[in-house]
Amino acid sequence: MTGSSSGGSPLHRAHPYTPLALAGALFLLAFAVSTPRAVGLVVVAGVVLAAVGGVLRHVLRPALVLALPTWGLLLVLHGLLGADPRVVVGPLTLSEPGLARALVLGGRIAAILVAFLTALATVSPPRLVEAMAARGAPFGLIFLLVSTLTLVPRMRARAAQVLAAQQCRGLRIGGSPLARLRALSPLVLPLVLGALAEVDEQVLALDARGAVIGGRRTVLHPPPDSALERVLRWGLLLGILAAYGAKLARGGA
Amino acid sequence: MTLRDLVLVRLGVAVNLVIGQIAAALLLPVFLDAVGTILVAALVGPRAGIVAGLVSQVLMAALSGNFSWLPFGIVQVVIALYAALAARLGAFARARTAIAAGLGLGLVAGSVAAPIAYFLFGGATAGGVTVVTTTLRVLGAPLPVAVAAASIGTDVLDKSIAFALVAAILRSLPDQMKARFPVVSR
Repeated sequence: MTGSSSGGSPLHRAHPYTPLALAGALFLLAFAVSTPRAVGLVVVAGVVLAAVGGVLRHVLRPALVLALPTWGLLLVLHGLLGADPRVVVGPLTLSEPGLARALVLGGRIAAILVAFLTALATVSPPRLVEAMAARGAPFGLIFLLVSTLTLVPRMRARAAQVLAAQQCRGLRIGGSPLARLRALSPLVLPLVLGALAEVDEQVLALDARGAVIGGRRTVLHPPPDSALERVLRWGLLLGILAAYGAKLARGGA
Repeated sequence: MTLRDLVLVRLGVAVNLVIGQIAAALLLPVFLDAVGTILVAALVGPRAGIVAGLVSQVLMAALSGNFSWLPFGIVQVVIALYAALAARLGAFARARTAIAAGLGLGLVAGSVAAPIAYFLFGGATAGGVTVVTTTLRVLGAPLPVAVAAASIGTDVLDKSIAFALVAAILRSLPDQMKARFPVVSR
């Protein structure tokens, strides 16, 4: 839906952990607050983050596409079908507490989407891998995150080939739900069994390259991590702990 | 975890990400986004299954852009633990026992997902589950009941099909390959 975009903004230049920490902090903060106004402030913070990263346009469209169906359902579930008292909003008569709850929930979803889509747009995957390796992340974790992304398109292409081959052999993928369910097995089995048959070959290839599960790589040019960024990340952690402390003090509300 | 386990986990993650698309292409009302987690947990064990499930959840969010799915990662952990236990008990030996175990997982996974959907998202998590929730709510069911019924109902169908698929995959493995996985070769 979206991905990393090139740019020279402060978020693009920052250590990859910093935009991720900011997104994670907004995610946690969205659940620490529970009034429409406070959630609205978290959404604004997310939008400011996207603007600082120079990716506001890049982020807002996919965020709206993803959030709109959920907002619509929230309006129906809580606004239209919520408890009394009612309030008139334009042509609609909505539940007042339901509308407040829908605003909080819809705002949370918007904040999460904007924050993480910003991180996704400003963090370059190769720089993230370098940063993880430099921080001593084990080979296994980096292999799983990066290598799987190369495997998925190959498996998708193979799934399309299996589908075409089975259709040539007379498989029908339309009809009743039961008929479509029956078509699942002839499509999934060749795909998964074929992939399982290649496991040994891949293990040998990794072994030949000296891959070790817990092994650490030495990175030639690790992304720079300034003291200011490290302070910011620790500050975010303390801020989140304070927000949840305040939430607990209010009795979880 | 060995290199072999790591390669199997990677395969499980890819299966989770791809099979859901096949289900969507067949217009089936299920997600099938945990077939890889169940397969890896059955073949290798709960730890590898949990890693496959959590990495899948992160990559699904990153590839779709929908990061509001992240809290449901806990459901993948439950699925991995349950599938590993079911494999140990021989549930994948026959289609009938696999479907029965899948029904059980549907109840468990739905019961774990429902509170997340209700408390964190007010029952609106998008997709088919929320359409069922809204329909039940329109019919007069209280919101917590509608969320729980929709979540458990869809999970029971989804996980019983996923378990049946994994049982079919495990039964179709060549003997040479089965011998490498103690749980399957028993």
